[in-house]
Amino acid sequence: MSDTEPTGAAPLEIRPIKQRVWRRLSLVWLVPLIALAVSLWAAWQNYQDRGTLITISFENALGITAGETTIKYRDVTVGEVESVEFDVGLSVVLVQARVDKTVAPYLDDDAQFWVVRPDVSVRGISGLETVLSGVYIEGNWDTDPDVAQYEFTGLEQPVLTRAGQRGVRIVLRATDAGSVSAGAPVLHKGIEVGYLEEPELSFDGTQVVVTAFIEAPFDRRITTSTRFWDTSGFSVSFGTGGVSLNVNSLASLIEGGIEFDTIVSGGAPIRDGEVFDIFVDEDTARDSLFTDPNAEVLEVAVLFEQSVSGLTPGSEVRFQGIRIGEVSDLNAIVVGEGSNAEVRLQAVLAIEPSRLGMGVEATTDDALMLLSDFVERGLRARMVTGNILSGSLLVELVQIENALPAILTNSAGLYPIVPTTDSQISDVAATAEGVLARINALPVEDLMDGAINLMDSIETLANDQATRAAPASLMALLDETRALIASEDTQAVPGDLRKVINDLDAIVARATEVDLVGDLDTALESAAVAAANIELATQNLPEITEQLEALTRKANSLEFEALVTSATETLAAIDAFIRNDETAALPASLGDALDEMRGFLTEVRQGGAIENVNAALASANEAAQAVEDAVSTLPALSARASRLVALTEEVIASYGERSRFSAETLATLRDIQEAADAVYSLSRTIERNPNSLLIGR
Amino acid sequence: MACQQCGQVHRQEVQYCKRCDGPLQSRDVDSLQKVWAWLIAGMIAYIPANLYPMLLTSTIGKHSESTIIGGVVELVEHGSIGIAIIVFVASVMIPVGKFIAIIYLAVSVQRKSKDNRHERHKVYEVVEFIGRWSMIDVFVVAILSALVQLDTIATINPGIAAISFAMSVIFTMLSAQAFDARLIWDADRTQT
Repeated sequence: MSDTEPTGAAPLEIRPIKQRVWRRLSLVWLVPLIALAVSLWAAWQNYQDRGTLITISFENALGITAGETTIKYRDVTVGEVESVEFDVGLSVVLVQARVDKTVAPYLDDDAQFWVVRPDVSVRGISGLETVLSGVYIEGNWDTDPDVAQYEFTGLEQPVLTRAGQRGVRIVLRATDAGSVSAGAPVLHKGIEVGYLEEPELSFDGTQVVVTAFIEAPFDRRITTSTRFWDTSGFSVSFGTGGVSLNVNSLASLIEGGIEFDTIVSGGAPIRDGEVFDIFVDEDTARDSLFTDPNAEVLEVAVLFEQSVSGLTPGSEVRFQGIRIGEVSDLNAIVVGEGSNAEVRLQAVLAIEPSRLGMGVEATTDDALMLLSDFVERGLRARMVTGNILSGSLLVELVQIENALPAILTNSAGLYPIVPTTDSQISDVAATAEGVLARINALPVEDLMDGAINLMDSIETLANDQATRAAPASLMALLDETRALIASEDTQAVPGDLRKVINDLDAIVARATEVDLVGDLDTALESAAVAAANIELATQNLPEITEQLEALTRKANSLEFEALVTSATETLAAIDAFIRNDETAALPASLGDALDEMRGFLTEVRQGGAIENVNAALASANEAAQAVEDAVSTLPALSARASRLVALTEEVIASYGERSRFSAETLATLRDIQEAADAVYSLSRTIERNPNSLLIGR
Repeated sequence: MACQQCGQVHRQEVQYCKRCDGPLQSRDVDSLQKVWAWLIAGMIAYIPANLYPMLLTSTIGKHSESTIIGGVVELVEHGSIGIAIIVFVASVMIPVGKFIAIIYLAVSVQRKSKDNRHERHKVYEVVEFIGRWSMIDVFVVAILSALVQLDTIATINPGIAAISFAMSVIFTMLSAQAFDARLIWDADRTQT
């Protein structure tokens, strides 16, 4: 440093001042310029990219943190909360957020914002990720840019339907919101295909209106002939089929649910906002299918003098047993004035003209004309018991013979009034009591004892080998009888008798000729006995016939074809035997023979002299004996047949009894067996699958 | 006259160093310009370094960004005053101090101030020495980002500020380098 001083060269080293500024500038200056440019550009870019500031107002800002909480749209972060503050008056929390410039134009008046928080409901857990990451604000808007807005009101509840979600939005009407709550599922054949949004009261406050969103492609299942019904919770229905309990899924048990089905085809496709009614249950919904729910109904009134408890809006209106409408309203009205004023209970009947068989295009006026016509001819309204257990009533329109003349009047109020007749209300209590009393009075125990005894007897009888063999024996017996009757011997009896008589005639003639009168007393006695026997035998013949006929009748009532045939044949044979002219002529012949004998005897007495006739008489005695023997078997046969008939009668009677009784017993046992099987399978099902009780499947 | 590169002393007329062949300059004429240029670049770079987040930390679900000052405040709030001081000194005081020192030196040379020549020389030496330590912050960020990459559990990434801070440090170092300390002496030369 000191060496520069003496040289004095320093002035040379210093550049002349006149040199231009540009020349003196170093290239180094480019560096800060570039840095500045980059910074400025970055800052500008940043400023440009900075999102649009929007303000969302919430009731509370639980979990929202400035600088951390993001705004998401379809799970993509599109903005961030910048500040959280109160508005003037502390009424709402204003959340200021910046959203990306690209999405800002879409934030029009349909944009909705809500805070996503963890949510545990019966249908599941949602927003679980926010437990760790903190809440975020979810936005929902459609994909059409509109007039951009910058101030929004946040929703307290998440929106269920995403904008742009494909499906159809329909409006459901219900009488109360008991079964509908936001988020409740809409089911179709048990599959969740949509959900309900927040229910609201209808404009006039009489109904609950709820919008339902049906996701594509299930929305195609809905036509104008689709019916919706309430499937919430469980339902117990009484019916002729017994009690049925229907439990749906646990979610619908708590939240309620709506099911729909399109049972008949031919409905027109629907548009957004189509209105449907929610029916109380599936049956009602299906019932309604065959009428247009929006069809005009004819409203007529009926004034009842007695209590209408048991009649409710919705109670059926029947005409000759067919449902033609329902009770739409019940109220009390005053009829008459001053001291004549009376309170009557007015039931308004909504009658569907199409149900009267009037065709689709029938108007209510046509229906009114028809009804008025009917009333003039004796149509009257009355209440009848619909269900004896629940005591519910229904209104029935009946044709009364010789009814007092009446017409459809329109005097007392809004509706034409259908005249009434005496109602047929069965009081449940009284009826039940009466039934019970009658049941009580029945000798049930005696009956049971008798039945037990009878069953015991039948059992022993049925178990008895003899009983089992009875039909066979009977057949055999009948066969034998037939064989006996058909046998030539028996057939020959009349012939033999005639021969004997002829012989006797001959003998008598010879005796007359030879004039022999010997030991006649014995012969006469024998002959008398023989005659008596023959008489007895012949007397028994009609009885046999009768009894055989009875047997045949009994046998006829049996289903044993062979038996019947046999019996018929037997009968025919016996008949033939009985109708045989020879048999019929038998008594006459015998009488003749005896007369002749008597004449012969007197002649013999007069003539005397019978010596060689003893042998002849002995042979005649033998012949008489033979006849007697032959004839004496007849009573035995008759007795046997009689016994047989009695036995058969007994057997048949017991069989007849048994067949009905045992059939019933068997049917009862089978029923019990079936019931036991059903219970067993139910318990097996529940055992195998206990959660079926919960999930309803 | 001494060679800038190897320190060999030459006579004034000599154009190139005999030992290292480097060009000889008694004074760097553009020195002050370069100083200013680098300094301004450094200061420009220092602005985003403070405005933008230095560290992008994401632990399970949580995502946080911290600027230098924000980090210091956070550390103080957590009670780690010692570390807070170190960070503050390394990232704020030193760069800012360097800017001030260089500005002071440059201004004093331009105004040809004759005061505190020795002190100014000391200041220059300190600035040059301390310059490289300013990179401590950048190193910390670099090491943390490299080590803490545990995916969803915890991840640390350098922010824009880390780069601009590094730039700022580099620019100021260059600025300090560009400063020709010999100019400090020239003030009284022209006077005399």
